Amino acid sequence: MKLWSPFPLVALRRWWPSQNEWSLLVAIVLAIVLTALVDSNHTYFFRPFESLRDIARNSAMLGIFSLGAAVVIIAGGIDLSSGSMIALSGTVCSVTMLALAPTEMMAFKPVGSVVVLIAVLASLLTGFFVGTLHTWLITVVRLPPFIATLATLVGLRSFARALCESSTAVLTPTKSALINVADPAFKVVRDNVWFSVVTFLVLAFFTWLMLSRTVLGRHLKALGGNEQAARLAGIHTENVKWFAYCFGAMTAALAGLFYIANESVAAPVNQGRGHELNAIAAAVVGGCSLSGGVGTVQGTVLGAFFLRVVIDAVSKIIKTGADVYEGLIVGVVVVLAVTFAQGVNGLRHDRRILPGSLGLCTIPVLALLAGSLASMTTGAASGVAAGFTAFIALVALRIWENRSHDKKAQVSNSQ
Amino acid sequence: MNKQAEVAVAMRGITKQFPGVVALDDVTLQVRRGEVHAICGENGAGKSTLMKILSGVHQPDAGELEIAGQSVQFHSTRDAENAGVAIIHQELELVEELTVAANIFLGREPRTRFGFLNDAIAKRKAQELLGLLDASISPEEMTSGLRVGDQQLVEIAKALSLQASIIVMDEPTSALTDAETERLERTIATLRLQGCTILYISHKMDEVFRLADRITILRDGRHVCTVNKTETTASEVTGWMVGREISEHRFRSQQTVGKCLLEVKDLCVASQDSSQSVQLHNVSFRVHAGEVLGIAGLMGAGRTEVLEAIFGASNSQWQGTISLGGQAVSFAHPSDACKAGLVMVPEDRKRLGIFLNLNVTENISICSLFHAIRNGLLSKKAEEGIVAKPMNQIGIKTPSLTASISELSGGNQQKCIISRWLLTKPHVLLLDDPTRGIDVGAKAELYELIDTLCQSGLAVVLTSSELPELLTLSDRIIVMAEGRVTAEFSRDEANEKKIMTAATLA
Repeated sequence: MKLWSPFPLVALRRWWPSQNEWSLLVAIVLAIVLTALVDSNHTYFFRPFESLRDIARNSAMLGIFSLGAAVVIIAGGIDLSSGSMIALSGTVCSVTMLALAPTEMMAFKPVGSVVVLIAVLASLLTGFFVGTLHTWLITVVRLPPFIATLATLVGLRSFARALCESSTAVLTPTKSALINVADPAFKVVRDNVWFSVVTFLVLAFFTWLMLSRTVLGRHLKALGGNEQAARLAGIHTENVKWFAYCFGAMTAALAGLFYIANESVAAPVNQGRGHELNAIAAAVVGGCSLSGGVGTVQGTVLGAFFLRVVIDAVSKIIKTGADVYEGLIVGVVVVLAVTFAQGVNGLRHDRRILPGSLGLCTIPVLALLAGSLASMTTGAASGVAAGFTAFIALVALRIWENRSHDKKAQVSNSQ
Repeated sequence: MNKQAEVAVAMRGITKQFPGVVALDDVTLQVRRGEVHAICGENGAGKSTLMKILSGVHQPDAGELEIAGQSVQFHSTRDAENAGVAIIHQELELVEELTVAANIFLGREPRTRFGFLNDAIAKRKAQELLGLLDASISPEEMTSGLRVGDQQLVEIAKALSLQASIIVMDEPTSALTDAETERLERTIATLRLQGCTILYISHKMDEVFRLADRITILRDGRHVCTVNKTETTASEVTGWMVGREISEHRFRSQQTVGKCLLEVKDLCVASQDSSQSVQLHNVSFRVHAGEVLGIAGLMGAGRTEVLEAIFGASNSQWQGTISLGGQAVSFAHPSDACKAGLVMVPEDRKRLGIFLNLNVTENISICSLFHAIRNGLLSKKAEEGIVAKPMNQIGIKTPSLTASISELSGGNQQKCIISRWLLTKPHVLLLDDPTRGIDVGAKAELYELIDTLCQSGLAVVLTSSELPELLTLSDRIIVMAEGRVTAEFSRDEANEKKIMTAATLA
């Protein structure tokens, strides 16, 4: 019986979602229900397992390095380089295999489990090296985290490509910016989605354990909340940062392995490009504060899942590839989620959405955005109609807001 | 002149609620034109909230506000500025990257016919305003290069440039040296001659009694009384503030000094950059078990730097010897000091002490988490068990163990930080200005706490910006000036005059 009353149970109280997490859960359910209703192909009904598999795989891949992004953000930093780290990790893995078993690799034959294991370890070790480099740049050279990881965001991708091209030039007949990965170990991972899902969930569990039940986790939060106080409380802040950035880079390295498994190729030019921002978005949507010290694993998991559900929903509804609108969707979701989390109190003191001349200029901006989106997805006629409707609605909102504002001002003046 | 015109500010029945607390409850107050009106009260009494309502930062839930007989309602600080009310906040709000003149005219920059900035006029006008205040600040100087006292004058000049006839000052002297405080007092006298009405918030009774014409006392968001300065005494006012009279008594009249626990010999610190940090020259002192050593000195005398060097928190290299319990030590990191039994409560609780994102329990347990590990993992239960003991002993008032630290008053937050360190069972406790920004009642409690700790055999080193506090608590006092120890007094020898003389020796 006791199992069913939530609060006296300490373990359950820890898992009990916060308000933000409840709203995310509700939003996820809403997004799924809406897609099921609006999608004219009814994919959720006719091919439920296929839909589930796609969402699960994408959420797990995004989730793995979102956890890293979340830990870095909770520790008061930022890691912009995870997308490039994904590319580098995949490249290191396939270059290692190519170096150890060149003939098998070129003939698309199995390379053997020992070689795969060494290659995987080499990738994870690269993650550790990159995390160490970040920490050194931040704590010793004293670069701001944004600058240090901006440099590696640009640098690591280029480094990965150079590594790929120079090693293929030496090890294979032709120089190439791609390395095909055909080992059955990677094929198994590609064909069995539960590999990535289980990896993600296990990683999430251990990250949760680390953040909420270990001294290190508490020190991470303390560091993110107030770095100077953390140092004066005897916390070795450099070491804690070292852990955070290594965790960030190593989760990205792990995700990179799933990327090459999924696409059967290491492609340093494009793999994971821009995905660091999706990870940061997942953490932020999940309740992590960019000023540090605040955030949970549960929230980040839900945030990553929510992003993928919405991306999937939109691609189903408008019947185009998800990648075209992915960035746009992530952008809109981040704005809406953070606005929602702030609540009404986050708005201006007079709570107007379209105040003054800024509001006036925002009306055509939003109307144009709505109109062009509608015309691209459903055709020119409905695009014009949507843009026009949005314009009229916003103008009406503006007039209404100004009226009620003036009224309030009048009331207060006459008092 | 009719009676209406003599009232500069009238507030009637002002009530303001914040989530969970009634900050102001039916407060009524009249301020006469041209007077200096002091607002006194403990922290959390509602002084700042009342002044923020007067200056348009907050809007009251109920009540009326009249400026010069006109009923007004402020929706923003702009509205208040237009009505001639300017506020100088406790934390100054200048843009450090801009010049003095640019700060004074921020948002109202003088322009040329073509719409470009007119720096010449801004400079000239700024010069005039600063001249009015007797300030030797150049309008072209960068604000970041100014001392706090000078920055405050810039804020006042800004208020004057707004043609403000009512100026609110929220604890203006909390970060000033005595010389700067004196100059501020002269400035206030000048402003008054020019017909300004001044509302002055302060904890410091001597200031209030030097400056104010009338004093209003608030307690727990209610108006207690408004009195003429001439008709009351400082102890009566503090009595009203806390609801009881506080007798200043000295602790530990008979006390036994144990063995020497901390000895600092010829501590020297070379400053890294000449403008900011202070150099220390041959600082030496000893502290014994069961003894409170006070370190007196003006701002910038090097008190904090001494404590930081001992605690291993200093960024610069030091020379000299520090021995703890007879053994020479040199701490590279605060954690080493903590392991050896020497801990420090830093100045500026908010910036260096508390973690706003952690709750009360987590704030206290942060240094002793390894004792809360059960089966390899942190146990909340064990953690709360560890924290409960000092919380009860010290008497921390908190809604619950898991309440947010921001819900606690300043005094209770400071007690949390002290408990945090007591859990590590230290032998030597360094307290850097522990009562700054803490109200009178909580101060008395902290004094008792320090006394108890001392009697239990701890050696305490205490710095404070308030001399009466040092005189109350310390067994011995050393005085610092410009990084040197200039005098040492035993408890019986020490008095404020002697200390001030030694502190101003250069």
